[in-house]
Amino acid sequence: MTTGEPAARGLPVHYVEVDEDLCNGCVLCMKACPMKAIRIRDGVARIEGVCIDCMECARVCPRGAIRGVSTAEVELEDHLEKAVCPTSVLYSQFGEDFLPNDILLGLRKMGFRYPFDQSYTTEIYGFAMELYIRELRKTKNPPFPLISAVCPAVIQIIASRFPSLLKHIPPLATPRELVVREARSRLSEKHGCPPEDIDVLHIVPCPAIMIREAESGNRDRVVGIGSIYDRLKKAIQEIDDDRVLHYSGGLGLSWGISGGEIAGLNAKSIAVSGVHETIRYLERVEMGLLSHIEFLECRICTEGCLGGPFTVADRYQTKQIVQKYVRMYGVERRIKQNYVMKLYKEGWFHAEREILPIRSENIDCTVHERIERQKRVESILRMLPGQHCGMCGSPDCRTFAEDVVAGKADLTSCTHLKQRLKNGAILES
Amino acid sequence: MTGMARHAGIASRNPFPGVSPSGLRIEPVPLMPSVERKFRIAANDFVNAGEVSIEVQGMLKKIGFPPALTRRVSISAYEAEMNVVMHGGDGEMALLIDPDEIVLECSDNGPGIEDVELALTPGYSTAKPEHQEMGFGAGMGLPNIKKNATELVVESGKGLGTHLTMRFEVKA
Repeated sequence: MTTGEPAARGLPVHYVEVDEDLCNGCVLCMKACPMKAIRIRDGVARIEGVCIDCMECARVCPRGAIRGVSTAEVELEDHLEKAVCPTSVLYSQFGEDFLPNDILLGLRKMGFRYPFDQSYTTEIYGFAMELYIRELRKTKNPPFPLISAVCPAVIQIIASRFPSLLKHIPPLATPRELVVREARSRLSEKHGCPPEDIDVLHIVPCPAIMIREAESGNRDRVVGIGSIYDRLKKAIQEIDDDRVLHYSGGLGLSWGISGGEIAGLNAKSIAVSGVHETIRYLERVEMGLLSHIEFLECRICTEGCLGGPFTVADRYQTKQIVQKYVRMYGVERRIKQNYVMKLYKEGWFHAEREILPIRSENIDCTVHERIERQKRVESILRMLPGQHCGMCGSPDCRTFAEDVVAGKADLTSCTHLKQRLKNGAILES
Repeated sequence: MTGMARHAGIASRNPFPGVSPSGLRIEPVPLMPSVERKFRIAANDFVNAGEVSIEVQGMLKKIGFPPALTRRVSISAYEAEMNVVMHGGDGEMALLIDPDEIVLECSDNGPGIEDVELALTPGYSTAKPEHQEMGFGAGMGLPNIKKNATELVVESGKGLGTHLTMRFEVKA
């Protein structure tokens, strides 16, 4: 399978898989891919370029041949003793009758002894972000707009297509990393073992989170919401416990919606969702057109994480449930601000890992050579029909021309060109 | 620099020198490689405004020019493009990339600029109020290009359209 194989070429590992028996080589996924990473080779879709796990391909595939992969295809019994960190998106998946606390209790009922609530951490993180922005305002030439580091697919886009924007990513650990760190330190204290020995199970709305986990090198397992949905739903209906596991206010719960992250942020900010819109905005940031904005929230899925590929319930219905939570739990911060300030000063929020750019393919040749290549691309493009039919196996004519120049495709795989050749034109090259 | 004095710029060269008239033969690449592309700009099309400069930016990034230079070129392209969209009527942007120089030529068939010196003054604007409401037309377009480009030539006159030539030196 395609998973994991391209790491040697400097491409990131991805967690999207093509089932070659189901794929019939139609061009829909290739056309949908915002990174132009898919090619049709020998009648099957193959992921050849930088894949960011946005799952646009899986959403358009009419045969269900493309799937996201998660590590724990659930032998849940193995994980019961471990910490479980569900995304706050999970809370909205079970209809209006169940509150976040019920869902955490349901996880306990399923047998997970240590469910850790992420929504409270998001509130703390939101305040830390505000402190960081305040700090930056005092500096000369701050890297505004800061770009939210929460969506891992956005990070991959920036690392591969906009490496000059990496300095706009705040050096704070994401809420998920923070909650895992906290879970590790608490449980290691409890069990008297080193924090690295504590295994963590993430319940996530998308496979993109896997990338960050794989790079972190720890032994965490990741499972999609859909994989545990039925069992959790059954467990929630059988709760016989009344302890309180959920502490956050409404703002912490709203991070699943697009705009949830900036809702509690006291800064000039914009929220963008959807992969094409995100790329459009990043292009603008790169041109320096958005420097009057302080914070940019980008989410690859339309409507935010509620629209993630591993979710079960409809994104618009769950959005309404989250909005109800916000009304119910209120928008005031429930965190101890002085304590968070102290943590911030101690460097508790600092990200452990630096995000590195993804190496582009022709980095080794000189500007001369690259201009020459581009020139050949333009001249090939002149011969192509410009209908972007995708029959050659590349998503559009320009990409096909680039593939030909890079030696990845043969000029004769363009059916239109072949037709013209048959009609008497001669190809010399 | 009033009056219409279009010199032989990119437009007069063979746009695709590598291709023979039959359209199928690729000639050997000359010693000094250069890439040319042309883009159309439609008047009052605020939905697609900015697309041309994004294309320009993508092209420069693909070739791997330094980010600072890429930003200077693309911001100039953006300002020129917005000028065409707001005032210019329909227009065209041509991009020429040489290893040591990038040239943008932007021409339109709009009303033209009566007093070029005045138009180059920061803050001077003839934008309509509705454009200013959208955040454009602060009178910084041409001055901004002048600031970013190594050389800017404005050829225009009342009723004659406008032709901008922007040159950017590529330092090795």
